[in-house]
Amino acid sequence: MRFPLVSALFRQDMPPAGGFEAVRYKRNLPLRGPSGLAILGGVTALCAYGFYRVGKGNIEKRELQREKIWSRIHLVPLLLAEGDRDAYRREQAALAREKEIMKDVMDWEAGKSVYNNPRYRSSEYIVVL
Amino acid sequence: MNSFHPGESSSHPFVEPTPLPASIPKVNEVGATSAPLKSAAFFIGAYCKEFNEDFMLCKAENRDPAHCLKEGRRVTRCATDLISKMRENCLQQFEAHWNCLEVNNQDYAPCRKPERALNKCMFEKLGLTKTIPGTAPGQTPIHEVENPLFGRMQK
Repeated sequence: MRFPLVSALFRQDMPPAGGFEAVRYKRNLPLRGPSGLAILGGVTALCAYGFYRVGKGNIEKRELQREKIWSRIHLVPLLLAEGDRDAYRREQAALAREKEIMKDVMDWEAGKSVYNNPRYRSSEYIVVL
Repeated sequence: MNSFHPGESSSHPFVEPTPLPASIPKVNEVGATSAPLKSAAFFIGAYCKEFNEDFMLCKAENRDPAHCLKEGRRVTRCATDLISKMRENCLQQFEAHWNCLEVNNQDYAPCRKPERALNKCMFEKLGLTKTIPGTAPGQTPIHEVENPLFGRMQK
């Protein structure tokens, strides 16, 4: 048997005249801010500056603390002298009181330390009258 | 007469009424509160250096309050002398500074402006300077730094 001629029934599909246009395969990514490296560098720089300030601040804080301590050191003798006078006054009064109370007891030494040691100790208790 | 009652149940704090024995010479206490004392601290340190050191060396010998009464009186007289001199010469600056300390939690840092005025006056009138011992050589002392990081919170 004979087949009819192909070209008479079907038309071969051909590219358009002038060829296909180029396939757009490139990604379309518009610029979205600074690069990662720039951000990383910026953050590093900011942190470095911050730590520099912290270091400066620590030095200054230390100096302020030293100033405060020295102001107190200069006042120690003055306050200690005043406190000593008051302590001496109260000690003498307590001694006189003890002598008065214990005057009838034989061999009682008023104000004698309980320790066999001449080193000064402030009294452990006060008597509230 | 007195009767004993325990201190913890006392309704009022115990105050010893007995005065100092007459054998001890009288000395007027300084009587200044903490802010004026803090304001004058470095000048007391500079002006009364010998007396202070003498007293502290005496205390190092013996901690008994009776041991260093004489040195203590000298210390107090010197401090009283200095404070009266400050009040005679630099009253305005002194009061400005200690009032500033009073309202600033007794920190030096927020009160640099009145402090500098006081330091200037004290140097001109009495020849006393504020020096912080132990400041590294070549370093600006903290009270003379122009733009410190720490200062007043509110401008």
